Amino acid sequence: MLETRLNFKLLEMCSRCGACYSICPSCMNIPGYDPREVIRDILSGDHERWLSSRHIWECLECHYCVEICYQHYGFENAMTALRMVAAKKGMHPPQVKRGWDMFVKTGKLGEPALPARKKFGLPEPKASGGDEFRKLYALLKEKRGEAK
Amino acid sequence: MREFAVFWGCTIQARFPFIEKSTRLVLESFGLPYRDIDGFTCCPEKSLVNNVDRGAFVLTAARNVALVDELGLDLVSPCTGCVSNLSTVKGELNSDPREKAEVNGLLREVGREFKGASKLQHLVPFFHDTVGIHKIKQKIKRDFAGMRIALHYGCHMIRPSHALKNDDPLNPVKFDNIIRGLGAESLQFLTKLMCCGQGLDRVDAHDRALDFARVKLKELKAIGADALVLCCPSCFLQFDNNQFLMEKEGEKLGVPVIYFTELLGLALGYDATELGMTSHRVDCSPFISKWEALSRRPSPSASMEAGLTGPSALG
Ligand code: SF4
Ligand code: SF4
Repeated sequence: MLETRLNFKLLEMCSRCGACYSICPSCMNIPGYDPREVIRDILSGDHERWLSSRHIWECLECHYCVEICYQHYGFENAMTALRMVAAKKGMHPPQVKRGWDMFVKTGKLGEPALPARKKFGLPEPKASGGDEFRKLYALLKEKRGEAK
Repeated sequence: MREFAVFWGCTIQARFPFIEKSTRLVLESFGLPYRDIDGFTCCPEKSLVNNVDRGAFVLTAARNVALVDELGLDLVSPCTGCVSNLSTVKGELNSDPREKAEVNGLLREVGREFKGASKLQHLVPFFHDTVGIHKIKQKIKRDFAGMRIALHYGCHMIRPSHALKNDDPLNPVKFDNIIRGLGAESLQFLTKLMCCGQGLDRVDAHDRALDFARVKLKELKAIGADALVLCCPSCFLQFDNNQFLMEKEGEKLGVPVIYFTELLGLALGYDATELGMTSHRVDCSPFISKWEALSRRPSPSASMEAGLTGPSALG
């Protein structure tokens, strides 16, 4: 699964570069956060231990590494790939699970705050596309051969 | 200027309706052709949805873009995340005909089509590029001369640049240009482009999120910024709400956090209450009182004008 998500040739270059380490905000501010180690392990087929690590969720997706990278690749590709594998195995943080549940149920991450809207004299919120979204998501799952 | 739909996103409407208020006041003051349309959902939030189901991420964003495509509208949003996510998917589908065909195969079943033709813009680059700084200068009633403002771009206003293409992703200037256009000083400081860190609050890492907020706020306090100005609900949550939580624990940093639309609204002559700034968790009044004190002081040109209109050499 990692192979289909990641370009190992580019990661190989990464393992000899590390330039984005010095601009990555999580590397600078979170003790122990170091995607270089993660990439080394991915290349040696040893990524399992990272799936349960909180570090893969501490990548902020700020895209700094992508922008500074001479390959326009970035640490975050490795971190995202591992997060996706972890989530497939149900190993994502409880808060992510709650957020996801709300998203598939309503198509949103929160509904308009009606009393406050009144207070500020805001118009009625427009209709949500929630129903159509649910229909569409069911179609996607059907197409992938997943249960509805 | 083409008509555009405003994409409010979940966070502003659910948690910060006052941001919607100030945005509407500003759009109306400038007489901009905006519309509210039915049918949007979450953009969707990338870190959350994409990690769990990439297909759902792409399909949901494509559907939102299809809504404006159909109506022949552009899209503008006061949320950086929304624009970044929608643009990322738009760029991906426009450069991958096969994926686009697959997505459209599904969308067709609910009567929609993603064309990817509409322009998607965040409010700040929109004001910079489409409205223009000269227009802003013409419209405002009072500028911010003498005020020292620290800007926070918000990562997703400018990155990923291959999708957004609206500013230099490592050395952005547009927000700075607008702030200077409003007469304020835009402070240059070490952590200016550092990510707010709010993402950590979405993965059960609240203390880490506070660490990130602290790093920037401490620097701002040290350099004496009058306010932190930003235009992203996620960054706002991080610096207003989390700063307030730190305050409650006895760590008072006292940096007012002001939304871009509020700052513009003040310059247009609205007061802080109308703009909903009294709903912030961190008190904005130090910023307002300094600004008011400055405006009571005669402007530097006043004495010069007095000299010109008073008794002259000719009597
Ligand atoms: S996207 Fe993730 S890995 Fe890349 S610079 Fe930001 S925090 Fe670091
Ligand atoms: S992602 Fe790019 S900049 Fe970072 S280590 Fe790899 S090659 Fe170097």
